Amino acid sequence: MSQPRQQANRLAQGGRIDRSRRLSFSFNGQTYQGHAGDTLASALLANGVDIVNRSFKYSRARGIVAAGAEEPNALVQLGDGEAAQVPNVRATQQALYDGLSARSTNGWPNVQRDLMGLVGKLSGSFMPPGFYYKTFMAPASMWLTYEKYIRKSAGLGRSPMEGDPDIYDHLHQHCDVLVVGAGPAGLAAALAAARSGARVIVADEQEEMGGSLLDSRELLDDRPADQWVAETLEALSAMDNVTLLSRTTANGYHDHHFVTLHERRTEHLADTAPRKEGRRQVRSRLHRVRAGRVVLATGAHERPLVYAGNDVPGNLLAGAVSTYIRRYGVVPGQRLVLSTSNDHAYRAALDWVEAGREVVAIADARANPDGELVAEARVKGIRVITGSAVVEAKGDSRVNAARIAPIDIAGFRVVGTAETLACDTIASSGGYSPVIHLASHTGCRPTWRDDRLGFVPNTVPGVAAAGGAQAVYATAEVLDDGVAAGRQAAVEAGFEAVSVSPPQVPARRDGEACALYQVPHEKTTLRAPKQFVDLQNDVTAAGIEVATREGFESIEHVKRYTAMGFGTDQGKLGNINGMAIAARCLGRSIPEVGTTVFRPNYTPVTFGSIVGRHCGELFDPERYTAMHQWHVEQGAAFEDVGQWKRPWYFPRQVDGKTESMDEAVARECLAVREKVGILDASTLGKIDIQGPDAREFLGRVYTNKWAKLAPGRVRYGLMCKDDGMVFDDGTTSCLGDNHFLMTTSTGGAATVMEWLEIWHQTEWPELDVYFNSVTDHWATMTVTGPEARKLMEEVTTDIDLDRDSFKFMDWREGKVAGVPARVFRISFTGELAYEINVQANYALPVWETLFAHGNKYGLTPYGTETMHVLRAEKGFIIAGQDTDGSVTPEDLGMYWAIGYDKPFSWIGKRALTRPDSARAGRKQLVGLKPRDSQVVLEEGAPIVLDPNHAIPMPMEGHVTSSYYSPTLASGFALAVVKGGQQKMGESVYLPMADGQVHEAEIVSTIFLDPKGERQHV
Amino acid sequence: MSNLAVETVRTFDTRTEANTPVESPLAYSYRRSGAPAPGADSRVVLRERPFMGHLVLRGGAIVLDDAVREVLGVSLPGEPQGLTLDAEGQRSIQWISPDEWLVIVPGGEEFELEKRLRAALGDAHFAISNIGGGQTLIELEGEAAHELLMKSVVYDVHPSHFPVGKGVTTLFAKTSVVLRRPSESRWELIVRRSFADYTYRWLLDAGEEYAIGVER
Repeated sequence: MSQPRQQANRLAQGGRIDRSRRLSFSFNGQTYQGHAGDTLASALLANGVDIVNRSFKYSRARGIVAAGAEEPNALVQLGDGEAAQVPNVRATQQALYDGLSARSTNGWPNVQRDLMGLVGKLSGSFMPPGFYYKTFMAPASMWLTYEKYIRKSAGLGRSPMEGDPDIYDHLHQHCDVLVVGAGPAGLAAALAAARSGARVIVADEQEEMGGSLLDSRELLDDRPADQWVAETLEALSAMDNVTLLSRTTANGYHDHHFVTLHERRTEHLADTAPRKEGRRQVRSRLHRVRAGRVVLATGAHERPLVYAGNDVPGNLLAGAVSTYIRRYGVVPGQRLVLSTSNDHAYRAALDWVEAGREVVAIADARANPDGELVAEARVKGIRVITGSAVVEAKGDSRVNAARIAPIDIAGFRVVGTAETLACDTIASSGGYSPVIHLASHTGCRPTWRDDRLGFVPNTVPGVAAAGGAQAVYATAEVLDDGVAAGRQAAVEAGFEAVSVSPPQVPARRDGEACALYQVPHEKTTLRAPKQFVDLQNDVTAAGIEVATREGFESIEHVKRYTAMGFGTDQGKLGNINGMAIAARCLGRSIPEVGTTVFRPNYTPVTFGSIVGRHCGELFDPERYTAMHQWHVEQGAAFEDVGQWKRPWYFPRQVDGKTESMDEAVARECLAVREKVGILDASTLGKIDIQGPDAREFLGRVYTNKWAKLAPGRVRYGLMCKDDGMVFDDGTTSCLGDNHFLMTTSTGGAATVMEWLEIWHQTEWPELDVYFNSVTDHWATMTVTGPEARKLMEEVTTDIDLDRDSFKFMDWREGKVAGVPARVFRISFTGELAYEINVQANYALPVWETLFAHGNKYGLTPYGTETMHVLRAEKGFIIAGQDTDGSVTPEDLGMYWAIGYDKPFSWIGKRALTRPDSARAGRKQLVGLKPRDSQVVLEEGAPIVLDPNHAIPMPMEGHVTSSYYSPTLASGFALAVVKGGQQKMGESVYLPMADGQVHEAEIVSTIFLDPKGERQHV
Repeated sequence: MSNLAVETVRTFDTRTEANTPVESPLAYSYRRSGAPAPGADSRVVLRERPFMGHLVLRGGAIVLDDAVREVLGVSLPGEPQGLTLDAEGQRSIQWISPDEWLVIVPGGEEFELEKRLRAALGDAHFAISNIGGGQTLIELEGEAAHELLMKSVVYDVHPSHFPVGKGVTTLFAKTSVVLRRPSESRWELIVRRSFADYTYRWLLDAGEEYAIGVER
């Protein structure tokens, strides 16, 4: 790095920067100095950096144009280390800090001497609008190749390749009145609303609140405007009901006055958030505001004039020139030419002269400008050339002259000889465009006001625009407008109006502005040097004219064809000019052409702040059972079931090696079939059902019968949706005549609970029954296998475990390991099984006691994978795996669970008689036994009857569950096959993607113990 | 039914006096994530109050109100989102939905309370479910509690909108909690057991800025 350069353009005094605090920063590898209070843009201008980027399409040299969010060129890649990289930061919005490091987003290999520059020079006719669509979209397969290079040369910044070291969060905010923007209108509105007692949030995107008052020439109550700003902010911050958020951009206006504010909390300090008092700080915070009323005091963006060469570095907005001089003490050049259509822009020339630099001339498009500012300029001896405009800027890497010519606006032509004036800076103003982006987000289209030469937002209930956002520009009127909007918002939110008197501002007489957008050139638009409309997307006036000639008449089509207003720009600077040009080409008025739609976000938002703290370990809730720590300590592999973490299998160390999943599952399966296993089944949904009509209700929501289930007994139940399709199953136990405990699948718990409530509340409110979720209250451990009874005998003294008194599908209560428990003899494995339920706070000690006694019986913990294998061997379905919302109980062959003759119809019954539900040839659940016993079929594999059939083969079904069974020493599967129940013993074929074809036999779904003797022992 | 007396509703005392260890829903979280001790700079303190008795009451307000006044000596909250506490502040009843209330009492009282309420309610249509093992109560106290909640819940917790004596069920990060304000300085979260660890880790993370401490 070379030595820091002098700040040649920095004034000796003035501005709001702190000259006592020098900050060092680097841009494109060069070290510079600036001051506290600078933006990166003001510091670059102070150091005389002209070229900050290369343009998107033509790779032209570009400089700083604006001083705020509307800046199209000065996009930088910020950050020192790889992890801290942030793309597309606007230098005009980035506060300077010591050590800041930035590079141009475009300019490969560098901005000064650009490889692509040659292409840009030649590409006038080479890259017409629609170029990308026309050139690169075919062949489609090549797009990815093109795209990589287009991106690199287009230069839209790059994402970091390392993880973000910073943290982010969200804050849910609620207020009566949200004020967006803290310029004169916003501050006045906030004061009026807050004084009435309303909860007020004020958000402003800049480093400092005050907006246009921070660089105003006007006096408020006879004092500099920034004094009133300071006093007002002090008054507001002293009020409990006011929240002031600076460095906070309102980026999206969503439904029901839900507004997202993006607060940058540390980006003015460093590229990654520094620690504060030893603790991490959030880098940025998304405020999710639910506002009662919203005041949009978003101000206006100045419109540049569109003239030839208007993108050469040194072309600036007139207002930006004033801002740099008055707020940052920076004069961005030596010799200024101003081209304007209005009085307000004269400020730039006056400020320039007061800074001690030369104003070469003011080209005023109006024939007889006569406002006070015009008079002041003339008094100061500035040459004012009326009826004229800058028609062309000369220069390559910096403006070196302006050609000024008399123009006929109505006739769109140059009407006299141009005069060439040497200068290095051209400021232009074509008037002001209210910032209507947020209002647009609400979906309302703006209205064109001919008297104000701008679009103003249409009214949406609860939203008011004030000041510049409403095309009200005179400071006194802006303040009044703000007070009125703030007061009205508070009143609408239910507060009493309080009178607030805004400060006195001497009235200034401004002459009327004229409507000038594109400045005519001696040559036609298509032949003249490029006249840029949207600098960020390299859209020219000629491009828009070509688009309209090619038949793109809707402004939305013009936008898409030319890319005007795309991307991070969102049409801030050039949109209105573009519409005016389209209107001229089409022979229509601006309101007839209309606007495009502005979309959130107003300025780019980091992904971090969208995500907040919903990332990493907090990305999604993980639900744990009471035994979770035990599972972790045993080295369980976990499976996500809904949000639950369930042990999937428990791999052991065997001979110094960790078992594979297949090995662990095989061992766990055999342990259950031969000895005893234990499963943590706490995740199953459990619903406590009470009431005299509980039994009747069960009969209506389940397909099977419940009238005769006695207390102490348990029954399996199947549930259908009203379309007759199975959606959940489980067991329900009769605890008392009016009291049942329903279990659901793990994933279906909440859905079933809602299902019961919906049917009770909307269809059968006359049934006296209540449902309460007790899923988390009980922890459930399934002890299953031939040795299960022996183990149970050791841990309970008061439950009679005799096979004849505590039978299969009974439940009993008593103590297990000294803890009150309900024990259910239900089995999902087909083996002797006891499901122990204890209050969850006791679960871990009970579980550990079972192991203390169980080791001698070979007690083996098993996970969900083993559970799946064991249940599939028995043909037990899993709703959602073997069913998919298109399977009826009949398709499953579960006729035994269908109460065709129940007195009251049940949910889904009627649907079973629909012609489609009753037709032959529906897919039915069957078992599949691969001919090769070592083959494990793929779940989801399609089933065909004739593997030699020409493609496309008729599909007869698919595999729903498939495993290897160590007990059967064979692969086996469940599948749905058309008419499968009538095809027992037949062969089917499963052609695989790799060309193999597996053959399998259709068999019963029950592979093991078809009579069910093992669970009854 | 070998060892059961037939009842219309089967009540069951799930607690034991035996010397069996218990684990609060946050026990695992303390071991896994730690519990930073409150310090002088802690602007918010988290405190679990585990093992309380939690009962859900379902039924008509008028019938239930008579019973709880008779048995507990407090009335049901007079309006939706209401929370009432007994004189000692140890027993509370919270409105949950139009026919649902949450009763929280010192641990061990709930089974006796359920029996007495059932006796008082007689033949009325109601339901009482013991859910004490399924949730826990987390207190937040301190000047930053309010802002910590703003980071976590969608509901408006501004004092003007959430006065003492209010309680709601609301979204908390990506789960839900029952949130209530029994006193000026104290907020209570009632969290489902299986979501307790997620809630705890969230609060520690979001509370780092305020030097959150955990009292145990």
